Amino acid sequence: MIFGLLRLAVVGFVLMTIVYIALSIYSRSVYREELEKEWLEKGGEGDRDAFVEAGMRDYETSLRRKLIWLVYIIPTALVLVMLYVINFM
Amino acid sequence: MRYVKWTFWTLLALIIFAFLHYSLPQHDIVRITDTYEKRVDPGENSWFWAAPDSGNDPTVTNRDVFFIQTIRPNGKPMVYRNEDTGWGWPPYFKFDTANLQTEAADLISTKDDPQWVMITHYGWRNEFFSIYPNAISVKPVEGPDVRIIPWVNIVILTVLVIILLMIRRMWLQFRERAIDPVLSDIDEAGDAARDRAKGLWARLRAWISTWRSKPRG
Repeated sequence: MIFGLLRLAVVGFVLMTIVYIALSIYSRSVYREELEKEWLEKGGEGDRDAFVEAGMRDYETSLRRKLIWLVYIIPTALVLVMLYVINFM
Repeated sequence: MRYVKWTFWTLLALIIFAFLHYSLPQHDIVRITDTYEKRVDPGENSWFWAAPDSGNDPTVTNRDVFFIQTIRPNGKPMVYRNEDTGWGWPPYFKFDTANLQTEAADLISTKDDPQWVMITHYGWRNEFFSIYPNAISVKPVEGPDVRIIPWVNIVILTVLVIILLMIRRMWLQFRERAIDPVLSDIDEAGDAARDRAKGLWARLRAWISTWRSKPRG
């Protein structure tokens, strides 16, 4: 029981961390690309790198970045719900 | 080469289909005739047996397993095993084996006065390997013809497709932003060299083609 739970927790944590890192990289990359496009649409005036970096600083505190934590929360919640539904309902 | 490719993809598709078919929950409408328990010593077929009851010694090689005997609406038999999956695979987190056995025993009925039940299970029945689907839950139903919509499977398969599409999009984004720029740098450096090589190659081919005899009219 304890061994099985530990194994699930360790494997689950490693998998969720891989997904979390991959999603973070992806989300950053998409955000950066959007910023570059936005800079072009605004006429391409001023320093492009400065514009993009300012946008990326906003990203660090954005809701979108925080939502990636759902990668940990949703599977854990699912396991708890399934435990209840399968065994106690 | 084409056959190798097709064989590979067909095999992969078959394996994935078999894996999902084994692991995803399925619903059967059956009538429970009896329940029993029998000692099993998983051997060649040990892949198709789950874990000992959660909390028991996992290292022993044999154990008693609960079984549920049923008759399907078409009159053919189906026997389910009833085992904990515990924290392992497939992730049903089933710990209530003994409770389920009690519920199943409570729903035993006769041919003359049938009580139809819906058994949710995963796994396969195979007589040659002596393997049995693992019952997950049991629920009384009106009759043998109730319509069951497999919501859980619909949701799981949809989520799987979304995950696959997401992986594809992430890969494309990664290639566009991280690999292509590097490749195009290499390309630009290589272009000059390639032009020279191309010139040489074109001249060589032109020279070879002068060897070929002209078609005679």
